[in-house]
Amino acid sequence: MANQSGSVYGLTILSPIIDDPHAEVSHDCAIRDYLAGLPRDHRSPFAKLSSTHIARLVVMDDVIFVGAPAREEHLQSKYLVFESNFDGDLDTYLRRMAQDIPSELDAVWRHCVGYPGVRDVAAFTAYMKKCQLKTTFYFADVNDKTVQQTLHALRVQASVAEFIAAHQGQPAAEIQAAFQQLMEKIRKEPPPIAGGHEESAKPHTGTARTAGGKS
Amino acid sequence: MTAVTPMKAWKSPFLRVFFFLLGHIKPLQSDLVNLSFIHFARWVLITRSNFPRLSESQPKEQLHYDYLLFFSNFNGTWNQYIDAFSDVLEKGLNLVWLWSEKYPGARPVTPFKRYIAMVQFDTDYYYTAYPRATTNDVKAAHRVNAAVEDLARRSASMSAEQFGAEYARFLVAVQGDLGATGIGPIGT
Repeated sequence: MANQSGSVYGLTILSPIIDDPHAEVSHDCAIRDYLAGLPRDHRSPFAKLSSTHIARLVVMDDVIFVGAPAREEHLQSKYLVFESNFDGDLDTYLRRMAQDIPSELDAVWRHCVGYPGVRDVAAFTAYMKKCQLKTTFYFADVNDKTVQQTLHALRVQASVAEFIAAHQGQPAAEIQAAFQQLMEKIRKEPPPIAGGHEESAKPHTGTARTAGGKS
Repeated sequence: MTAVTPMKAWKSPFLRVFFFLLGHIKPLQSDLVNLSFIHFARWVLITRSNFPRLSESQPKEQLHYDYLLFFSNFNGTWNQYIDAFSDVLEKGLNLVWLWSEKYPGARPVTPFKRYIAMVQFDTDYYYTAYPRATTNDVKAAHRVNAAVEDLARRSASMSAEQFGAEYARFLVAVQGDLGATGIGPIGT
């Protein structure tokens, strides 16, 4: 199946954005405004969706005219493009989206045509599937490890590098004892946090400009 | 990176055949795998009549072209990415994009970059669960993790002398995989 590579699923969603000439702020601008303030690190809504490796949202205003002799044409609607790479199956992921990040979903998708909200999870799932595009070719370089496995491995890698540097030249018995302690520490550590600790560009207020004020 | 290119509708089946072969003949992906700087990438071919229409009030698209959407999640800078694409994957990229209108070819790199810059969309929101790790970091971390778990499992009942020898072998095995993650040097 082209949407899947190993245990990783590649979801592509194209949601038409509401076109309301009477809106105080156009719906595409409202989406962009909201997304600009949404945290991108461990506070990201996608960090809560812990099976998400990488996700993006793009407002596609129109198609590009690449120059003559190609024909110039335009879209009738603007579209919100959502691309996500996650572990597991689509139904579970969509259900978790509705349950774990409902306010963020509403803040973005309420600007899209036919969005039913997240209260009715079945309706939300059906809506997203109507907007889904089948991937023609999907490439995942590491396609047999979950997000949590990768985060854990990265933390172990850092701990091991530090351990090796700290114990260079020591007697084998001392390294062995320290190694056992290292492994105990690794096993007792809480699950790693997804998304890193980068500071986002600006704090998220959660109240972006709203579209449709004069509709 | 998000890029969208127009294609004459009659060309779409040929591109589908190419992607089918690329998906099923793994050696054809070897350059992509060996480049090892793309976490995830995808091409999505959307025919002109297949744009989602969710309501009768939403105007129908009236398009002449099909569209090829390309999404790539890579580490490094845009210039590094396009340069590597042009240098290493020229033939493969040409087979993907030669069906798109006005595609100039992956070499020379200047018109190729100009074309990609023209057809790409800026990403409004981007999230990665491991922002400081490159594709190679991820692969290396999994190798280190497997090796250290293996050593831990085997070393429980070893004498100090045996452990010393095994530890030395472990160091040799993982020494190339211990680089720190973080923001890499940028040279463009």
